[in-house]
Amino acid sequence: MKSVWRDGDRSRTVEVVSLGSGRYRVTVDDAPFELSAAVGPDGRLSLTTEQGVTSAELTAAGARRFVRLGALDFVLEREMGARRAGGPRGGHQVGLESPMPGVVTRVMVAAGDVVTKGQPLVALEAMKMEHLIRAPHDGRIRSIAASVGEMVNGGVPLVEMDEAAG
Amino acid sequence: MFSKVLIANRGEIACRIARTLKAMGIRSVAVCSEADRGGMHTRAADEVRVIGPAEPRASYLNIEALLAAAKASGAQAIHPGYGFLAENAAFAEAVERAGLTFIGPTPEQVRSMGDKRAARALAIEAGLPVVPGAEGSDPKTLAREAQRIGFPVMVKAALGGGGKGMRVVDTPAALEEALASAARLAQSAFGDGAVYLERRLERARHIEVQVAGDGKGEAIHLFERECSLQRRHQKVIEETPSPAVDDALRARMTGAAVALARAIRYRGLGTIEFLLAPDGAFYFLEMNTRLQVEHPVTECITGLDLVRIQLEVAAGEGLTVRQSDVAATGHAIEARVYAEDPARNFLPQAGTALKVRWAGGDGVRVDAGIESGDTVTVHYDPILAKVIVRGPSRAQSLARLAEALDGSLVHGVITNLPFLRALARAREVARGSIDTEWIEREFLACFAALAEAPAPELALAAAALGELLGVGATARPRAGAARRSNVFASLGPWRIPGLGT
Repeated sequence: MKSVWRDGDRSRTVEVVSLGSGRYRVTVDDAPFELSAAVGPDGRLSLTTEQGVTSAELTAAGARRFVRLGALDFVLEREMGARRAGGPRGGHQVGLESPMPGVVTRVMVAAGDVVTKGQPLVALEAMKMEHLIRAPHDGRIRSIAASVGEMVNGGVPLVEMDEAAG
Repeated sequence: MFSKVLIANRGEIACRIARTLKAMGIRSVAVCSEADRGGMHTRAADEVRVIGPAEPRASYLNIEALLAAAKASGAQAIHPGYGFLAENAAFAEAVERAGLTFIGPTPEQVRSMGDKRAARALAIEAGLPVVPGAEGSDPKTLAREAQRIGFPVMVKAALGGGGKGMRVVDTPAALEEALASAARLAQSAFGDGAVYLERRLERARHIEVQVAGDGKGEAIHLFERECSLQRRHQKVIEETPSPAVDDALRARMTGAAVALARAIRYRGLGTIEFLLAPDGAFYFLEMNTRLQVEHPVTECITGLDLVRIQLEVAAGEGLTVRQSDVAATGHAIEARVYAEDPARNFLPQAGTALKVRWAGGDGVRVDAGIESGDTVTVHYDPILAKVIVRGPSRAQSLARLAEALDGSLVHGVITNLPFLRALARAREVARGSIDTEWIEREFLACFAALAEAPAPELALAAAALGELLGVGATARPRAGAARRSNVFASLGPWRIPGLGT
């Protein structure tokens, strides 16, 4: 099984091949190693490598995996499909995403509006911080997926716009 | 003593206040916004009243709704906690006008300490040293005063405090513009454009003294707290005693604090904040007329319950603790767990805390506002919990803190726990050689290098194997707690490609 994970700014690929009786060959970013994995009664993964045994505690939250390894925490995000890996989806259309979970406080444009680069489009507020989502380039607003007062998660597309021709 | 008290707050502090009420046999009334229905603080109280929509203005800052809830529940007194209306004189007044008791100082004391210029004047009158500064509305006069004080100077909002409405001006040329923009900001944030100047002290430490007064002129102190570990004026780790304060300095600082509390006939619990300069001089900064976030470290070394002291003074029993009864043993440290991503510029986080586990054991106390399955919303302060440890020495309590942070876990919402773990192990923290800007000046860059390092291969292997073996998908939000905000969290791991990451 092959999967792609976002680790901070990196995209990392993991391939797992079962060797039978709890043994696996895992390849992380082209570096292969073997380990044994067992699920304990507490739901934790017990991973045995040449270096020893490590306990891993996993929690899935949407695409996110919270991974506790020993006393360290990591947050990885499952990347789904090839489309996400490479920049904006589908040609000239750019989805503008909320940078953090928050409440939409202002929507300053409507579908069909022509906007210029840097123009504020939507204002988002979270924990006393305001964040403006600005047009990344000149273009026309295709649609607005946010309304004032609405609560949104981080990473949710709020505005879709086309790039100005030429 | 009261038989029923309403807690006009939420989160960890509402839970903490409810604990003392329970111990004293007083019934507690929690209030909550619609977004907080079923939240941990509502489970900690004997009864709950929903007071309005999620926005703080419509709920936790809604004086009418709070008074109506108090009346309807039959509470005789209101504890404001910290934040929200805790330092709002109009609220304190409204509570008293409604025939209820405000668990805190008099409205007049709240008002005068809330105006930082009035507070400075009171401190000077009581003989306390203040940071060299100037006030006035004429920019030309202020420019002349700034020259006298010496650059860099701070421009502060009169009604600000706690780092809000504050900016640093390095050169005379930048002053005029800074005064105008600070006044504009103060006008919009605090409804009053008044500003004042203060010299900027380099490498100063934040040391505060806990006081309690009976409202009749008697006051005691409960030693100091060091709160120099701050990020953007937000405290991160606090401790007592301060590694920078020896017995002689402690006697002078606590003496000054008690003198001010006595001079104003302070009622209830308060904190007098000082800046301690590298040369050992200290200056009055401001007074907080409420229970502090970091009050547990004081409780740990004195064995006193500070909320109980508040209740006793408010109920007219006066100060039941005399200064000669107050003694400190050991060392205590608190670390604040916030819902923010330390790897991404500390952006606020929200979602469902699917799995929450706090360290326990000897010398460890955790004041938490969430449990597994609780929702963290974007509407309120991002503090989730405080991990507090106590040990016989500073070195031992610091080691215990590192261990307690390692033993705590929050999955489902990103927190600053990795940041706190790194701080608890930093060499400068161990040495105690810190000041209020040390985190931003030196530590953030070190932490960024740590945070940006790739996750170990085993972490990625665990995530992939977890998916293969179906591990980690069992956690579910608390029943009834699922809402739009965590719709992505509740979908589980088997997501449709391309949707909502």
